[in-house]
Amino acid sequence: MILYKLENLQRTHSNRIVLNIDFLEILPNAIYTLIGPNGAGKTTLLKVLAFLDRPSSGRLHFDGQLVRSNEKYLHSLRRRVVLFDQNPILFTGTVRKNVEFGLKVRKISKEVRKQRTEEMLALVGMENFADSETRGLSGGEVKRVALARALALRPDVLLCDEPTANVDGENQEIILNTLKQINKEEKTSIIFSTHYLSQGQRLADHTLLLQNGSLSDLVNENIFRVTLAHQKTNETLCQLTEKLSLALPTDRIPAGIDIGKLHIDPQKIVLDPKEKDMAHGTYLNGHIFDLSQDGSKIRVGIDVGVRLNLVLSMEKYDRKEPRLGERRKLFIPYEGVVCTKSDLLIS
Amino acid sequence: MQSAFLLFFSFDPELFEIVTVSLKVSFGATLIASIIGIPSGFIIAYSVFPGKRLLLTCLNTLLALPTVVIGLFVYSFISRRGIFGSLDLLYTQKAIIIGQVILIIPVIMTLAIAAVSRIDSRYRMTALTLGANRFQMAAVIMKEARYGILAAVIAAYGRVIAEVGISMMLGGNAKGFTRTMTTAMALEYDKGEFVLAVALGITLMTFAFGINMLFHFFQGKTRHDTV
Repeated sequence: MILYKLENLQRTHSNRIVLNIDFLEILPNAIYTLIGPNGAGKTTLLKVLAFLDRPSSGRLHFDGQLVRSNEKYLHSLRRRVVLFDQNPILFTGTVRKNVEFGLKVRKISKEVRKQRTEEMLALVGMENFADSETRGLSGGEVKRVALARALALRPDVLLCDEPTANVDGENQEIILNTLKQINKEEKTSIIFSTHYLSQGQRLADHTLLLQNGSLSDLVNENIFRVTLAHQKTNETLCQLTEKLSLALPTDRIPAGIDIGKLHIDPQKIVLDPKEKDMAHGTYLNGHIFDLSQDGSKIRVGIDVGVRLNLVLSMEKYDRKEPRLGERRKLFIPYEGVVCTKSDLLIS
Repeated sequence: MQSAFLLFFSFDPELFEIVTVSLKVSFGATLIASIIGIPSGFIIAYSVFPGKRLLLTCLNTLLALPTVVIGLFVYSFISRRGIFGSLDLLYTQKAIIIGQVILIIPVIMTLAIAAVSRIDSRYRMTALTLGANRFQMAAVIMKEARYGILAAVIAAYGRVIAEVGISMMLGGNAKGFTRTMTTAMALEYDKGEFVLAVALGITLMTFAFGINMLFHFFQGKTRHDTV
């Protein structure tokens, strides 16, 4: 069974396409992360999936049914899907009244409302604030109450727009652990957007990358704005900074552009290359500034004049033993670099 | 002036009667205009339709409508030869209320539109995603905009209690029936009887002061809420 199916779906604002998805299927009971830079269309997509925004064209299916733009029908769907906003707002009144709101509009009995409210506030660690006015709460507390308010409804789908943005580390952990827990215990399908690739991949079963409103295969990291200097040979120099440039075959560069967007695939960067690797690519030197585990892989941050990320398997990590602060060689092969027009550059 | 204060504090029956008529008529007009103006203001604020901007300009223009123009307009409908002449409304409190409702509907509507438009759009979205239907969502917005809407009602009440043109033209200033504070003051002034006129003036100013205090209190609440 497919939870959501999107076909040729477009959303436009003032004749500008902000969302353009050819095909996407989302499975139930899983956690999906939606990763992309600012303006990539993450919020628009979540609003469409929450039935709060209507696509300008294309088809959206939910739970096997084609979604019609009939307000009564949309209202019935909204009762199964809840959007947890990036900057949630609480209604005037107490924390308890806020958490009870969704249950009250569903005409759920007072006893059940009370029990569920207390349960959810305890889940997000806000049980001591039940009778407090919402006006005095901090940003992190507001997010936790808003999460409890959404979870109290036991939705089939929980959509979260950057759930950990603008909150401290402790609150981030509480929110992320809560999401994981309800997915495991209640089988709630979760789709959440984030800027942080590592956070997304740590929590999610599936990752969706969004760039300029479209789904992308390119991971949103190692992206640079470059000035292109065409050489007399078949190579073009991509200038990342004043002192750092990368050579690419001219046929890999879109014709007639002076400024481009360069994406360097972190999986393709070679740490400590052997001489034979170095024929078709660029050799650089840099010092390691970051090492972190990302699932079964190790992510290495290396400063070569710009900060690059590369990914190593555990086996390669054990063999190459990168250490923080060390200077290491690396090799960026041609096939690990994609250059596109700069007007696609969002951030 | 001293006599006027004495009259004011002696709870003179004539003065009491005039004040009662004034309050009754103003309250009735404000109540009817609120029932019409607040929901209309909400619908206009939350709807997108062609000509919305023009409608808002018209409503703003109507804020400056002179009371004598409304008096004349309503008179043409309810006078004996008017299309509602058979209802015998002219020179009754109902006639004053009709005129005053027309006077303050634009006031309530424009201020209600402003109050509702100021409410963060996230309230609407949050109510909908939590499963509220349109009416429940409207109730949420109204609750959040309550101080702004109350301020609109108070402003309208202040406008009607102090107007003289409509009350004089449509009420006729009949003693004990349609004599309001403002029409009585105009009459007493014409007669050269300043004692009752000044006593009524003091009463009116006291009400105006009270209303303004309330208005500022609720405006302050609105600002505090939006911080």
